[in-house]
Amino acid sequence: MKDDSALTLRIENATKSFAGVTVLNDVSFDLKKGEVHALLGENGAGKSTLIKILSGVHLPDRGKIILENREHVFNSPKDAFKNGIATVYQELLVFPELTVAENIFLGHTPKRHGFLIDWKKIKSDARKILDNLDSHDLDVDARVGSLSVANRQRVEIAKALSQKTKVLIMDEPTAALADTDVRRLITVVKRLKEQGVSILYVSHKMPEIFEIADKVSVLRDGNHVGTFDILDVTEDLLVSKMVGRSVDKLYPSSKGSHGTPILEVSDLSDGVRFSNASFILHRGEILGIAGVVGSGRSELAQTIFGINSSKSGSIKVDGRKVLIKKPRDARNLGIAYIPEDRGTQGLVKEMKISQNISMANLDREARGILILSQQEILNAMNAIKKIGIRARSAVQVVRQLSGGNQQKVVVAKWLQTEPRILVMDEPTRGIDVGAKAEIHALMRDLADQGMAILMISSELPEVLGMSDRVLVMNAGQIKAEFSKDQATPENVGAIMTEKVEEVA
Amino acid sequence: MRVLIRHESILLLVVIIALFTLSIQAEQFATIENLLNQGRFLTEVSLVALIMTFVIVTGGIDLSVGSILGLSAIILGVAWKKMGLPLPVAIGVALSVGTLAGLFNGIIITRFRVPPLIATLATLALYRGLAEGISQARSIRGYPDWFFILGQGELLGVPTQLWIVAFFTIFTGFILGYTTWGRATYAIGANEIAARFSGIAVNKTKLFIYSASGFAAALAGVIFVSRVSTTRSDMGMGLELDAITAVVLGGTSIFGGKGTIIGTVFGLLLIQTLKNGLSLAGVKSDGTYVAIGFVLILTLLISNLFNRSSEG
Amino acid sequence: MNNLLRKGNRGKFFSKFLANYGQEIVLLSSMIILFIVVSQVNPRFLGGNNLNTIFSGNAYIGVAAIGMSILIITGNIDVSVGALIGVLATICGTLAVSGYPIWIAWFAPVVVGMIVNSIVGFIVAYAGIPSIVVTLGMMSILRGGLISVTGGDWITDMPEEFFLAQQNFLGIRVPLLTLIFLTTIMFYLMSNTTWGRSLYAIGGNSEAARTSGIDLKRGVVLAFAIHGMFVGFATILFATQLNIIASTVPPNLELTVITASVIGGVSIMGGTGTVIGSTLATILFAAIGSSLIFIGVSAYWLRAIMGILILSTVLADMARRRRASL
Repeated sequence: MKDDSALTLRIENATKSFAGVTVLNDVSFDLKKGEVHALLGENGAGKSTLIKILSGVHLPDRGKIILENREHVFNSPKDAFKNGIATVYQELLVFPELTVAENIFLGHTPKRHGFLIDWKKIKSDARKILDNLDSHDLDVDARVGSLSVANRQRVEIAKALSQKTKVLIMDEPTAALADTDVRRLITVVKRLKEQGVSILYVSHKMPEIFEIADKVSVLRDGNHVGTFDILDVTEDLLVSKMVGRSVDKLYPSSKGSHGTPILEVSDLSDGVRFSNASFILHRGEILGIAGVVGSGRSELAQTIFGINSSKSGSIKVDGRKVLIKKPRDARNLGIAYIPEDRGTQGLVKEMKISQNISMANLDREARGILILSQQEILNAMNAIKKIGIRARSAVQVVRQLSGGNQQKVVVAKWLQTEPRILVMDEPTRGIDVGAKAEIHALMRDLADQGMAILMISSELPEVLGMSDRVLVMNAGQIKAEFSKDQATPENVGAIMTEKVEEVA
Repeated sequence: MRVLIRHESILLLVVIIALFTLSIQAEQFATIENLLNQGRFLTEVSLVALIMTFVIVTGGIDLSVGSILGLSAIILGVAWKKMGLPLPVAIGVALSVGTLAGLFNGIIITRFRVPPLIATLATLALYRGLAEGISQARSIRGYPDWFFILGQGELLGVPTQLWIVAFFTIFTGFILGYTTWGRATYAIGANEIAARFSGIAVNKTKLFIYSASGFAAALAGVIFVSRVSTTRSDMGMGLELDAITAVVLGGTSIFGGKGTIIGTVFGLLLIQTLKNGLSLAGVKSDGTYVAIGFVLILTLLISNLFNRSSEG
Repeated sequence: MNNLLRKGNRGKFFSKFLANYGQEIVLLSSMIILFIVVSQVNPRFLGGNNLNTIFSGNAYIGVAAIGMSILIITGNIDVSVGALIGVLATICGTLAVSGYPIWIAWFAPVVVGMIVNSIVGFIVAYAGIPSIVVTLGMMSILRGGLISVTGGDWITDMPEEFFLAQQNFLGIRVPLLTLIFLTTIMFYLMSNTTWGRSLYAIGGNSEAARTSGIDLKRGVVLAFAIHGMFVGFATILFATQLNIIASTVPPNLELTVITASVIGGVSIMGGTGTVIGSTLATILFAAIGSSLIFIGVSAYWLRAIMGILILSTVLADMARRRRASL
């Protein structure tokens, strides 16, 4: 009855356009039973459109979805789900006020007498599914709002598996996860594969792909570039297929010389998330802070920038002790902070590019309180040219830009304030390979011109590739410092993750 | 921006149609005298609605303005008659109390993080209660004649208070449209966290706006007293809903981040045109509320329809 | 393993109960303390007549607040509820004096309330106009329409059997009984049916609700319709408690109803709250209002003191919530 090489899902000639722009053009590939199939492509390559077609959010203009030898037309997400295709989205779509068990069975709740919820069955079934995912520690009665990101994701996966699931689509499942949680997720994926579930796995992270995928399909500009057996390809080859050119070097090289100290932090504590942080940042240097989510690194950066207040310790800029009580104080000292979450912290997406770029510097550019709008647009046009933001015009609304270009707008906003110290929190999270390389090159350029850069990242290759020096944070403390030569994935990674306790 | 212009042009069209129809229907309608006189009735709600535009653009709301109007009116009367202060000083006291009431709203909202709807719902009851308690439900009359210039007099042939409204309109329009303060208002409404991370003083801006809202309500209260020659504690009841109607009719998004002063002005004009025109055409005053309700819903329906088709 | 789990769950039961029903517990204990203190000052406070006024005279607000809570949980609001009660009461009374059977007079407000609110819900859901705006317009229409139709006249001379709210059943006044009955039933339905849980899902995260296969738009229309039904029930109690039906309702009735929901623990952001909370809040505020009179506070200061109390409840609630989220 079971044929392990059986075809589960076939996509044939899927084509979709929005408002005359073709975002997916004639894409076909197969997904076999129990196969982990990675889907690669830059942002805008058509991955999310393809996922949305498979999960019933969009109808394709042309093309077929064939599930277990039968052609299907999915009119709604519910349709796809009923037929065994479940999706775990990047932005987790859970209900914070409902319990774990309720979230898992939402939309197909077991009932008694036709309309009463069968709580006993919900809870015991939820328990079974979670246990199967090695999540014995997750309480089925807990409110989902009180869970960590990793645990919420487990709830999402459990929800996806609460019905007879044949195909599980995972959209960048590790984008917001710390390394230990990534390990747990990979274990789960492998287990599902053993149980015969086919998995379509979308990710930017190469190491994961090489660890779990059997096949990999690459999309570029809506076209299917090819499907490869994972054993036949290298990372460089995949990257060049994605961007359509070869990326010679992943990280720009450092000149290796830096100047005098500009920022001196000593014994800084916020009383909650980090304590006794001390370090010195020099002109022309990129200082990396490696740490997992929750290690206190973002809180440290935000305290330096005046978003949070410090309990004790001191900050010196140019050798002089300073008091930073609000972001404006920091800016006036020449400190800029590019936040971790560009959607909520970095940008006002409804506003124009020009208005976003001027936002942190507007009081300086205005005459009194009067905004000089010609000047504002001119400044934006210059920044767009300088940083290479791909936009129709300076007055385009930011929401319409791709993730990478949005990130560049945030960078442009803060460069507009002419900072001397640039704090970058996860500068390339969730953006595609091409934009990532451009931002890395820009960072190196700025450092070479004398800018002092403090870069926070949970991506080890980025920290190691970019930094002149690496600090490692864990559980609110700076645990170690490495020079560029000493810093290896092994010793940095070990300190980043040692005895990390789950914070639920 | 294009979306806003579209909404405002639809609104302008509706205003023109209403003006046109009504001037055919009722001959007295299109006289200068009638139109200027209408301005008097428009004053209180206009002052409040202009600042309410800022409040709603930040994503907030201020339901307590009607109560602040009542409270300020009572304070004016009590300070003058009971405490024997000179009337100009009493006016100053009334305006200060109104501004402080607005500031208090702002503090509850920014410091204690109470959602604006709830905070001002609570102070709506509180301020009205204070007005009733202080006045002991007695009205105050007998103001000196010069005081009525504000609400009943004319300057260069135009009702005095219309000059105040005109100044307020231009001033608020300039602030919201062309200054860093206005930009901060929009940024806070569209994404408060990003505004804070960009160094915008979010709480200070909000405190200022809610205080201004209190001030505008108090000023409206003083003018109201001058117009009707008496002070009562129930003055301004329901004013908040009229003001919000005008602002929303003017295209300001109740979710914040979008809206203009010119839109609010059109909204106010339309409401007053309907009220006056319909009553001249023989519709009872209560019937005009029905019309306003329909116009509010229909305008937004049409405007949404247009926006949707331009996006699709 | 099961045994172990169950034991752990029981240990956590109390703290979980506190976390889930914190607001309800606070309201209930405030009410008990209030009754004890005020009855010491003035024993007549506990007199049958007064208790009747507190519980039954305000029951219609509580019933309307149930509907309002349902709406607010889905992330919507209705500011036209006061005006609607006025309109429905007039319809109800007019039918009764025009010689229609009493059951038709009682039934009409429920049906008309559902129709009116379904229209509102339809506009909110399918045209995407925020509910506060649509109901603001609806308030204008209903209020203006009511006065222009009735001309401000009162309705009197309803038949004897009409006055449902003046009846007793099992020795308890009908309005209080109705309030308790409707609260219990809605509490049960909202926590134990898929419809009830989907309300929380719509208000909590509408994007997620959609991808989970919940029909958002239909859900919103249904919530409005059910709210309309409760406004209808509230109207029956309101219209049949006095011998006249005025063409006006108490001023700011909509704000009183919204306040009851919100103080009862329904988050104005949507997604949380129970109807038990809103019912307790209605009764508590009625009791406070009455107790102020009984301890001799001047009637002119009543509203100011109520305002201070509402404000302190809101601030206390914010403090509690912030602690809970830490």
